[in-house]
Amino acid sequence: MADKRESVRIKDGQQLRVLDEAARRRRQRKALEALEEDNFSEDPHADLKMSKKAPKFDEGIDSSGPGPKKKRKSRGDFKLRYRKTFSALLEEEHMLNKDGPTYFTACAPPSTLPERHFCAVCGFPSNYTCVQCGARYCCIKCLGTHQDTRCLKYTA
Amino acid sequence: MATLILDNGAGTAKVGFSTDSEPKIIPNCVTKAKNVRTRIFIGDQIEECKDLSSLYYLLPFQKGFLVNWEIEKQVWDHMFSKDVCQVDFNETALLVTEPFFNFPSIGESINEVIFEEYQFQALHRTQAPTLSCYKHQTDKVTSGSLFGTLVVDSGYSFSHIVPFYKNKPLKEAIIRVNVGGKVLTNHLKEVISYRQLMVMDETYVINQMKEDVCYVSTQFKKDISIARLKYPENTISRDYILPDYTHIKRGYVRAPEDSGKAKGDEQMIRMNNERFAIPELLFYPSDVGIQEMGLSESIMHCMTLVDKELVPHLLNNIVLTGGNALLPGFQDRVFQDVRSMASDDYDVGISTPSNPLTYAWQSGCDLALDPIFPSMCVSRHDYEEHGHVACINKFNVS
Repeated sequence: MADKRESVRIKDGQQLRVLDEAARRRRQRKALEALEEDNFSEDPHADLKMSKKAPKFDEGIDSSGPGPKKKRKSRGDFKLRYRKTFSALLEEEHMLNKDGPTYFTACAPPSTLPERHFCAVCGFPSNYTCVQCGARYCCIKCLGTHQDTRCLKYTA
Repeated sequence: MATLILDNGAGTAKVGFSTDSEPKIIPNCVTKAKNVRTRIFIGDQIEECKDLSSLYYLLPFQKGFLVNWEIEKQVWDHMFSKDVCQVDFNETALLVTEPFFNFPSIGESINEVIFEEYQFQALHRTQAPTLSCYKHQTDKVTSGSLFGTLVVDSGYSFSHIVPFYKNKPLKEAIIRVNVGGKVLTNHLKEVISYRQLMVMDETYVINQMKEDVCYVSTQFKKDISIARLKYPENTISRDYILPDYTHIKRGYVRAPEDSGKAKGDEQMIRMNNERFAIPELLFYPSDVGIQEMGLSESIMHCMTLVDKELVPHLLNNIVLTGGNALLPGFQDRVFQDVRSMASDDYDVGISTPSNPLTYAWQSGCDLALDPIFPSMCVSRHDYEEHGHVACINKFNVS
């Protein structure tokens, strides 16, 4: 009899999938990137052709490209010349400006104050950390909500 | 010759002639409305839109830097047209702002657009805090001790702490905190969507709600414990009724005594600890995992980077500008924090202009009237003769 008994907690504990440090950092980075997003959804007009620019019936197949007509010729050249992404600009700055104060040196350094922790569910101060994913929670009720909704639900 | 002042912020552009008393505040973006499929809205044309739910934004700025010229051109075309400013390019000089440490290639593209696309007669490029410092100097001229001014400009993409010696920014001590109004709104959206109602697409509505109900706490721990209480004792909780754009044209706060369940079809968000926990990010970016100092700590860190003799002047002349300075309690909080961290020997003086949003623009007007202003400009002739070099030599940028 005795050998059949087993602790539920030990059994559950072995099954628990725990995110490793790298996965947690990945999640955190995704959350930070989301804070910089301009929009949550895709362009609602993406499938839409402006009536004036919609292809005319007499147009051939070869002219079906939706490129907007250039009003001024210089504007077209101009767009090409200055089409640089933010990361390309950062790289350029990194290469060109090695000394002296730059965009990089101006960034605020990490805080010397201890980090504060808030419950991911209700927003009040939290004392506990989810064993699996590292999110913070403050009480059993919030832990339940967290496990039902976020914890490991969409793993990065 | 007329001078046009353009404080080209990533969130809103403030534009107007130096002779105007107030600038026009134009959202610096192109907007598409989900329910209006026949047109797009450029800048302030969004005011013509009746249904502001699920707006899609095209922004010319990324992380505070001008990267998308296709969109910026549309907004500027609109701003300079007769709908907004009616600029006669042959008779106008332009004063335009850009962020600190603007990348050289962006600066060149600004020169090129201003002189070659629009054909302005003259150009002066500077930064909004530099303008604010200039105006603060003249506004406070009586007090005399203006060796140093510390401008805290907390805007849409980020917040800058900029120490000035007289009118000169001390570049090596400028600090940027990567938290601005955009991060606050996005974080509020995320939090509300998880806790109450899916609002991830409602940037406009939630931003409005943030402006209506959020505040900066000066007693964070106490406010937390108040927020835990139930209604009559909980003086923080507010019920915010969302607009539906048929009957309710704009979101509003319901009076605390009427709070309770949403009535009829209306949609309600209860703002409790969110009211002050969201703006807290400005002071504790680490609350969401941004490993940077907050504003107050950065101010003190900045003091370690400047000459010791300048510190008392800077601490006594702190100016708060930018949209986030409109949050209730912002100045009190900065004062409280800085006072508690700075040495007791120093006086701490903080002021917020009556309109922190347009202060830099107002200052631009003053500067344009200054007799030295023409000498700070690059004329189109100079530009055509010497190109970007003329601008690099003249403007105190990067």
